[in-house]
Amino acid sequence: MALLDALPSPRMSWRQWRPNSVLVVLLSVLLVAVWLFDVVSVSPNRIVSGQGAGLVEAVGWLGALLVSGVILTLVLLSLQPSRQNYQVALVGVCLLLLLMPFGLMVASDRLVSSDAPPARLNMGMAYWLMLSLLFLCWIELRLRLTLPRRWTVLMLLGVAIVWWLCAMWALEALALGQEFRARDDEFWRALRQHISLVSVAVAISIGLGLSLAMLMRRYANFQKVAFGVLNFLQTIPSIALFGLMLGPLAWLAAQWPLLSQLGVSGIGWAPALLALVAYSLLPMVRNTYIALEQVSPETLEAARGMGMRNSQRFWQVRLPLALPVLIEGIRITSVQAIGLTAVAALIGAGGLGAFIFQGLGQAAMDMVLLGALPILILALIADAGLGALSDILRPKNTVPPGEAQ
Amino acid sequence: MSHNALGRSLTARGANPVMWPAIWLVLLMVCVWGFPYADGVLRVIEPDARQVVYQRASLASLLVQHLLVVSAAAVITTASGVLAAIVVTREWGRNFLPLVAQVASLGQTFPPVAVLALAVPALGFGTLPIIVALVLYGALPIVRNTLGGIQGVDKEVKSASAAMGMTGWQTLCQVELPLAAPVILAGIRTSITINISTAAIGATVGASNLGDPIIAGIVNGNMAYIIQGALTIALLALTVDSLFERLQERLRSRFYTS
Amino acid sequence: MIELAHVSKRFGDAVAVDDISLHIPKGKFCALVGTSGCGKSTTLRMINRLIEHSEGDIILDGQPIAAYDPVKLRRRIGYVIQHTGLFPHWTVARNIGLVPRLLKWSAAEVQAKVDELMNLLGLPKDEFAHKYPHQLSGGQAQRVGVARALAADPDILLMDEPFGALDPITREKLQDELARLQAKMHKTVVFVTHDMDEALKLADHLVVMREGHIVQQGTPLALLQHPQDPFVESLLGGLERGLKQAALTRVKDHMAPMGPTLPAQSRIPAAFSLRQGLSMMLRDHTDRLTVVDQHDVPVGELTLRKIVKEAQPEQGKVRES
Repeated sequence: MALLDALPSPRMSWRQWRPNSVLVVLLSVLLVAVWLFDVVSVSPNRIVSGQGAGLVEAVGWLGALLVSGVILTLVLLSLQPSRQNYQVALVGVCLLLLLMPFGLMVASDRLVSSDAPPARLNMGMAYWLMLSLLFLCWIELRLRLTLPRRWTVLMLLGVAIVWWLCAMWALEALALGQEFRARDDEFWRALRQHISLVSVAVAISIGLGLSLAMLMRRYANFQKVAFGVLNFLQTIPSIALFGLMLGPLAWLAAQWPLLSQLGVSGIGWAPALLALVAYSLLPMVRNTYIALEQVSPETLEAARGMGMRNSQRFWQVRLPLALPVLIEGIRITSVQAIGLTAVAALIGAGGLGAFIFQGLGQAAMDMVLLGALPILILALIADAGLGALSDILRPKNTVPPGEAQ
Repeated sequence: MSHNALGRSLTARGANPVMWPAIWLVLLMVCVWGFPYADGVLRVIEPDARQVVYQRASLASLLVQHLLVVSAAAVITTASGVLAAIVVTREWGRNFLPLVAQVASLGQTFPPVAVLALAVPALGFGTLPIIVALVLYGALPIVRNTLGGIQGVDKEVKSASAAMGMTGWQTLCQVELPLAAPVILAGIRTSITINISTAAIGATVGASNLGDPIIAGIVNGNMAYIIQGALTIALLALTVDSLFERLQERLRSRFYTS
Repeated sequence: MIELAHVSKRFGDAVAVDDISLHIPKGKFCALVGTSGCGKSTTLRMINRLIEHSEGDIILDGQPIAAYDPVKLRRRIGYVIQHTGLFPHWTVARNIGLVPRLLKWSAAEVQAKVDELMNLLGLPKDEFAHKYPHQLSGGQAQRVGVARALAADPDILLMDEPFGALDPITREKLQDELARLQAKMHKTVVFVTHDMDEALKLADHLVVMREGHIVQQGTPLALLQHPQDPFVESLLGGLERGLKQAALTRVKDHMAPMGPTLPAQSRIPAAFSLRQGLSMMLRDHTDRLTVVDQHDVPVGELTLRKIVKEAQPEQGKVRES
């Protein structure tokens, strides 16, 4: 009965026809947006705000009709939802995402004269809306087709590569690209710093988290105090925690020259790493603890009944069963750390956040984007990738939390 | 998912739970009004600095601004988040449920700094982008918890309420929302405590609030400034959090006492 | 009176209920029996429009149910479900008074009705009125569930496996209580269960369903005597069928007048079933029982020979539907 109960109760016969209202709404908003708002804007230099250009102005009548045509086709497909139509729509959404950088090329060709090199092409309101709405459509289609999360990773990577190639070879005028080319080396260094800070912090907190969680399982009193302290740490604003690390580390470096030779000082990576680990511990420990606790006592009892030793029970039963939840913890921690590392730029730890704060300081929005966009993409990829990993490790008959409504 | 386990673990050793909000509040007030006179204490931390008491603005006025921004965001997030979750759990809005649920959990991956940074080009410097970023970021736990709360209401109970002849509106107001209330409240609590900390980042885009002393401290390498800002924010977060904890206990005890 | 004529229910391509016709006269107790997924709950839920039927007519007191406002319709029909569906945030008294309050009765009327029902269902008011559902045992919670369903004096009571989650002893007690209530109130009851013994015990009219169809319907005795196919027979307990039938027959319908011989030592009240009589004979190693009335005065005699020979009542007594 449960299955039948879950179905919405049906209405009169004329309402048997059910379009996918979600897609219809998203796509209609998209269609209105691309015609109503500026798709791109052109500015003569880095600071001056640009001159907006609509869809027709940007890509010409042909391009405008092509875009509208694809969107309308998608609307038609979502009026008659079926598995096949959804699949076609999925391809359509990907197609639009891939076409978008080419649209920029056309726009740059039409609007930016090649004899004015500092002129820049900015993506406008409609362009950003299109990007986010298409991403929402993607999520909706993925859910309707019940595709696993790893598809999102593939799609993000594919689209990112095409965008990258276009930006590299054909989009001299794009502001973001210009910003990138101006600080090419700096960007790669920042990206490397960002990723290594995050991975080192996450690695340390995995190790520490596991040991803390084990201790907690053994000593109930320690558990209370530790959770109390970790919770308290989370209430300190991230920005302040980074700041608070300045003093003690500067002092330590002054006391022990060995430390300062290693690169430890009041500013830079050391305080950032400490603060990141401090912040990462709570989600890590909490999830590890839950992961180890949620393994059903019957299973463990059975393992003991079969004559498994304590260590065997831990490595062969408890840990494998806890692994998916543990990886969820790593996912949450990593995503959070990617965001927090942006703040670490304030204390000189570098990373992509440096572009954000520099850009904000100079009122150069392209530079802010150069920092913020990769952080966003990194976070999305880490989220989808680790989520997919946890799905794969999960026993087949259980529902991953991300897929449960 | 208590953010106040410290308070709770101490409570477990015999302190009166009612006291915690009051204790944190008193400490907060002591900080706000006491720091200007605590030159001597702050001097210990930063003996070489020219100035150790943050004087560009009074901590009290910064606290008020901080609270204003966070409450404005909280009101908008709570209203819109709960409303959105209610809409997508109705019969006619159910189509949107998977997408909204997915976005609510996906949105947590957006780092607040990045959201803030992206809001600035659209909205300019000042208080508005902060509120927008806080709303975007804070709405997600509320949507997620309201969804969870409403969907967590026993199917039998919902079916019974329909079978007894309650209208959809009556079911929502008398059954679903009251039963989901503790979970919704937990979501609001998470949202607000996160936002109290996140709002400090707003100081980097020109909103003046308790993040100001922190930024000033980082820029000038003055630990004393940072401590004034950080301690005040932490105490503010703890005060609000423990208030919510009290509220949740009240709610729970209302349901389950004879 | 409830009338279902050629009613079907489709969920997408799946047919949950397929062309069933059913007539339930006023004041009768009708049980829908079948294995899980046979469409019996769906049929029940179509009657108060929790599920809308796809085809056919469901007629209630002469009017098709589509003509009623679903909300008003449901307030007129009592509904009891397996896991009670009591509102966990309301007290027992408030739960019971739900429908009267929806119907805007005055506070005093609601209070009076709640008191009356708690009394009727054996829930002492002082002890239970202010308890919350989570403080009740399964049996107590289901009593509250029944009280809630009866609160607005509905003519019709729908019950969806109401006792399915209870332990056997509590279940039997509540079954007896329901039988007692029904004898007093004469509601039109539609009762879904997969427990054939429960259905045989309570129902006036038995409907056996399978894969959305009605396989057979009739009085419990008629079904026991002439199961239409092996499925119905197996539901009715196969070899145990004879005993079940005996359980439905009263001693007083089969006793012989007192014979010339000495009355037998073992005594059985006339209101007991033949099954209990048989059991007593097995226990006491005898083939003869003395039947007594409620004052323990012998009124007749029951012999094994007579039970075996005449276990089947005359054809005229069986109502065929």
